[in-house]
Amino acid sequence: MDQDGAQSVAVSARGLRKRYRLGEHRSLQLTARRLLLRRAAPPMMEALAGVDFTCRRGSALGIVGMNGSGKSTLLQILAGTTLPTSGEMRIWGRVLPLLAVGQGFHPELTGRENVTLFASSLRIPKQAIRDRMDAVTAFSELERHMDTPVKRFSTGMISRLFFAIGVMFPADIYIFDEVLAVVDGEYQARCLEEIKRLHGSGRTVIFVSHNRQQVAEVCEDLIWLERGVVRESGPTSEVLEAYEREHGGVEA
Amino acid sequence: MSNTGLQEHATVESTAVDSSSIPLEWPVEQVVKPAKRRLSLRDLVRDAPIVRVLAARDLKVKYKQAVFGPLWLVFQPLALLAGFLLAFKGLAGVQTSGVPYALFALVGLSVWSFFQAALTIGTASLVTNVNFIRYTPCPRPAFPLAAVIASLPAYAVTAGGAVLAAAAAGWLSPRVALLPLAFVWLLVLTLGVVAITSSTAVRYRDVNSALPFLLQVGVFFAPVGYSLAQLSSTVRAIVYLNPLTGVIEASRWMVLSGYQPSVGPILISLAATMVIAIAGWQLFSRRETVIADEI
Repeated sequence: MDQDGAQSVAVSARGLRKRYRLGEHRSLQLTARRLLLRRAAPPMMEALAGVDFTCRRGSALGIVGMNGSGKSTLLQILAGTTLPTSGEMRIWGRVLPLLAVGQGFHPELTGRENVTLFASSLRIPKQAIRDRMDAVTAFSELERHMDTPVKRFSTGMISRLFFAIGVMFPADIYIFDEVLAVVDGEYQARCLEEIKRLHGSGRTVIFVSHNRQQVAEVCEDLIWLERGVVRESGPTSEVLEAYEREHGGVEA
Repeated sequence: MSNTGLQEHATVESTAVDSSSIPLEWPVEQVVKPAKRRLSLRDLVRDAPIVRVLAARDLKVKYKQAVFGPLWLVFQPLALLAGFLLAFKGLAGVQTSGVPYALFALVGLSVWSFFQAALTIGTASLVTNVNFIRYTPCPRPAFPLAAVIASLPAYAVTAGGAVLAAAAAGWLSPRVALLPLAFVWLLVLTLGVVAITSSTAVRYRDVNSALPFLLQVGVFFAPVGYSLAQLSSTVRAIVYLNPLTGVIEASRWMVLSGYQPSVGPILISLAATMVIAIAGWQLFSRRETVIADEI
């Protein structure tokens, strides 16, 4: 990083844009209509319309915004699943993204097999996975269920396992996107402790939640996204206050 | 800081559950910006471990909750062989330059079974892993690669069966030592085709509808159950252009003693394999950047 020096920054985005096509992408009807009537291509929408931000190394950054404000798209670019249409993002270190609870799991595989699968997809070596398996099992408290296919798990059990994988493997930047929505209060408290511990040990944490208490508890800084741009950013208390003034107290 | 939850689970935490003991990774800079292509062939080598895990998953999932499990690997080619015996040997009277028909057909089936199995799950591999692709950074070539590797047992069973049967019947050629070369050739060809079909299926689901019926018809456009010698010149020209024809001919020459292969289709297939493999990589590595958006 030019001015900040690489060691002090974990993620930086400059002029980040992402365009998506609206409506259905392809069908016989659409193709025929486009050819016969010379109808223009379907309209585009900008999920990200020029986003700039910097996330300090070792900080805990929260992202708030209404549905459709661009949070998920931003996280997908950060996780490397999709590329921006223009602009660029620089990332220093290994990212461990927990984006959609349990979505990488295969229903027919057991809990243990899914841990191996998910961790492998993050390029974690086999030996490290074996070494951390007990830690994942213990943290998720699913000792009795690890050899059962995940299709027989409850939503809460899947969330527990998913979160445990996320925090039990090494990375520099952890992304949590609405991961604590369906777990019980007690487990939620432990997860928040674990996130804070990661943060305390020098990892960078990027946290997305619609729960204001969780956001206030975890994040030092906040980015408020609105219609694909950064509406406001700064210390959590200030941004959260402005955000709530506009949208009237967030669901607690 | 509310420490209540933490203290209740102090026993668990004190054992192994402490992620702060994991050493920090060395920060590597990564620039994410618009790109036509971001994959390199070197990535494929680096990601071999993921491919292995995914292939193991594909294999496990295939036979879960199935009584006969992997026995289906034997039933399927045997049923096809029975059909061939009836249609081609019984009705059409195929000339096999002296080789017993069952052996002749079995070698053809080893190539075909693998190609069919790999193409079926390989083509669907990106579409069926949609959630994995949208929400995890798992490298995308891993899905079709794993699907092709998970089809290896289909080859092992039929090719192994063909070699054993040829040995038992006294028709095994010493050239069988070359068979791994034919397999590598088949593997490269299949990977190339799967790279094209799987990445195309992401945008055009038509591929999924077309594939089963193309595969059904396809077995008759390759000399799996009949010999090239008996075809009329027009039909032969069409079958020669099928890249599988050369692989089948070469495999027969390697396994069966006394078999006279046609050299023409072997050369055509070798050239076609190279073109398909390169085209497959070019197409896949370009499409890879938009898979998550279009799937």
